[in-house]
Amino acid sequence: METYEAVLDALGDRTRRQIVQRLRAGPSSVGELAAALPVSRPAVSQHLTVLRRSGLVSYSELGTRNLYRLDPAGLIELRAWLDSFWEAALDRYAQRIREDSADRGPQ
Amino acid sequence: MPDNLTSVEPVRKSITVPAAPERAFELFTAHIQEWWPLRTHSVGGEHAVGVVFGEGVGAPIIETMADGTTSVWGTVTDWEPPHRVAFTWHAGTPEDEATRVEVTFTQDRPGSTVVRLVHSGWDRRPDGASAREGYDSGWEPVIARFAEIGASAR
Repeated sequence: METYEAVLDALGDRTRRQIVQRLRAGPSSVGELAAALPVSRPAVSQHLTVLRRSGLVSYSELGTRNLYRLDPAGLIELRAWLDSFWEAALDRYAQRIREDSADRGPQ
Repeated sequence: MPDNLTSVEPVRKSITVPAAPERAFELFTAHIQEWWPLRTHSVGGEHAVGVVFGEGVGAPIIETMADGTTSVWGTVTDWEPPHRVAFTWHAGTPEDEATRVEVTFTQDRPGSTVVRLVHSGWDRRPDGASAREGYDSGWEPVIARFAEIGASAR
């Protein structure tokens, strides 16, 4: 799976989007996230695993706590995807116009 | 964390096409179906069969799927042929979660037009539910929308 696809898949779930949104405010532990969201701690852990695989979230050990934080890598991928969305569309647009010019021949 | 790591800057694209602004504008809007990559750039994905770009302020941009279902991608907010068109963009989600797209057509020499596209509004401040829940930006629904489109494109 391409990286940007993993990012889009990861963000295709509302709870994971909420986790990402929470982490925008700063690093958080599983327990803190579970307390702030209407889902169980094991569920938060599972979602964090998906987010980590997509590159959106990374974690570090701080004493006995695992702290999760946003990882720019995933967001850079996402930004690249948004870019390519319009690039692909405009390429097709320009191609269509060039066909137009070719039909009419040299002017 | 610096904000530029968690926000999405406007998408800016520019392309030069061999046509006068009048033709470039007309193809971008009235003839969108002749070039828009529907299979990869739509809510319906492989089920998408058409897209219509409405004419004039308030007109919608609508995708049609094989079973007749439609999906409104946005609404024209500025209609200044042949120089500029702007529209909201909310493919797949409610209108109040829209971002904005502006496209300008500038003649650089006879028969040649520079088309510039800016897709902005990613970090629009939220209103209503998101703000009440303590979210600090309107980022979430926007990303959600693109996640939907991206997922349907595969």
